[in-house]
Amino acid sequence: MSADGKFNYYAILEVDQHAPQHEVTTAFERAKKTYSGDNPAIYTIFSQDEAREYLKIIEEAYSVLGNKTLRSMYDKKLFGKSSVEDLSYASLLKASQANMPQTKKVEKIVPVVDEAMEKEIREKTDWSGPDLKKVREYRGLSIERLSQITKINSYYIRAIEDMNAKGLPAYVFVRGYVLQIVRELGLDQKNVTDSFIKNYKTIMKPE
Amino acid sequence: MDLVQITGEKCGMGNSIWAVASGKGGVGKSFISASLAITVAKLGHPVVIVDLDITGANSHTCLGMNPSPLNLRHYFDGSKTLQEIIVPSSIPKLSLIQGLWDSWNLFELTADRVEKLVKDLRELTASYVIIDLGAGGTHGNIEVFKHVDEKILVTTPEPTSLEKNYRFIEGYICSKIQPTTTPDKYMDWIHALREKRHSTNSSAYSIRNYITDKMPESLPTFEAMNNSPIHVVVNSVRSHEQSSLGYSIRSVCNKYFELEVNFLGSINYDNAVWQSIRLHEPVLIAQPFTPLAGQFLSLCKHLIDPEELRAVV
Repeated sequence: MSADGKFNYYAILEVDQHAPQHEVTTAFERAKKTYSGDNPAIYTIFSQDEAREYLKIIEEAYSVLGNKTLRSMYDKKLFGKSSVEDLSYASLLKASQANMPQTKKVEKIVPVVDEAMEKEIREKTDWSGPDLKKVREYRGLSIERLSQITKINSYYIRAIEDMNAKGLPAYVFVRGYVLQIVRELGLDQKNVTDSFIKNYKTIMKPE
Repeated sequence: MDLVQITGEKCGMGNSIWAVASGKGGVGKSFISASLAITVAKLGHPVVIVDLDITGANSHTCLGMNPSPLNLRHYFDGSKTLQEIIVPSSIPKLSLIQGLWDSWNLFELTADRVEKLVKDLRELTASYVIIDLGAGGTHGNIEVFKHVDEKILVTTPEPTSLEKNYRFIEGYICSKIQPTTTPDKYMDWIHALREKRHSTNSSAYSIRNYITDKMPESLPTFEAMNNSPIHVVVNSVRSHEQSSLGYSIRSVCNKYFELEVNFLGSINYDNAVWQSIRLHEPVLIAQPFTPLAGQFLSLCKHLIDPEELRAVV
């Protein structure tokens, strides 16, 4: 294969530049079958090492052409006659990430370990809404993020933290919610939940 | 004898010559050329089979005919013209030029003989001429291969057959390149190829790069070979996996020789084939509506009119 063809993924997979997606997939499957295992077609032409090398290029080609977003970006670069280095899989992936909204990455939590706080959490036996809020903030979780993870409406999470019985459904549901939140915060599930529910019931009584 | 002339649609020079070759014997060249001819005839085109297996003609056996007393020996020694040695078959529109069958001395298919034969074949009134070649990448076989319009290479899924067919393709490429460069440069190239064959390092060797660097004068010839690609037919296929072997062969040729190779199709293994040859009746005549006949029909349509096979949107 010629050097300038190294990044021509269409030539590697032997498909037309306008080939529909299913043809690209078929071509990839055929190429994979050809260069992996002991296909008699490579006998006396390619050594096992050479076949493995081809398989690597073929898989890289498919990781671009098999992905609609990457393929369209690749097409733009290929027909825009940019330099060969720009056509590698790594550079495409980087470019595509620049285009994507990076919501998930930003929310990666870096836990700040505060020994005094950890100790307090360990020794605490009496739990109520504000305590959960404190731990949540210590863990660096926003209400929205906690709601995303636990699938509990953020409105209920706020109500639980505020010990606002009026804003919450029946007590069995509340117990379920608290259990989930506690688990997510990494606290002792049984003790904390039981303690919270005990406190919660005292608020409910006056009603 | 006049059958071809009577049924001929086009007059001279307009015919298409196909050659059926293989690096290995016993893969079914004669069977495939006979079956292709029968299918072309069934499609309504006048066709002539030329048995050019100099090691022993047997196309007549595949067609269920008796050997004709007139054969290519008379043509090559100059006592008969090509028109005079054509014998009609029992199949409409199909005739045969009997191969060397009664020649007890060694016969060589030289470049001059091939050139003359191909020139005379083009004068025939049949629309299609199918040449059944002998086994192996011999000088004569490759010479014929260079002159014809459609180059059909038959292989079976066995590694032995594949190996010999790759050698055939290599021989064909070298034979094409040789006259376009100086003998010294050619020998250097052959040495480079030989070294590559025995080396164990995994860096991919590029024939095209070598030619571009060292023998740029040969590059147009090399590129032009893609205009008339070799058609690969995989015969005696016994499983689905084997039927897709043609795509692998195409890919390997594309990557290694950087030569376009067309996978024409595969032919299933069928016990009816050897049974019918034993009974001296072509299988496509005895059993005309089998999947096997369908596969040959597809091969012929690919060669005659590929547009017809495209889906209409």
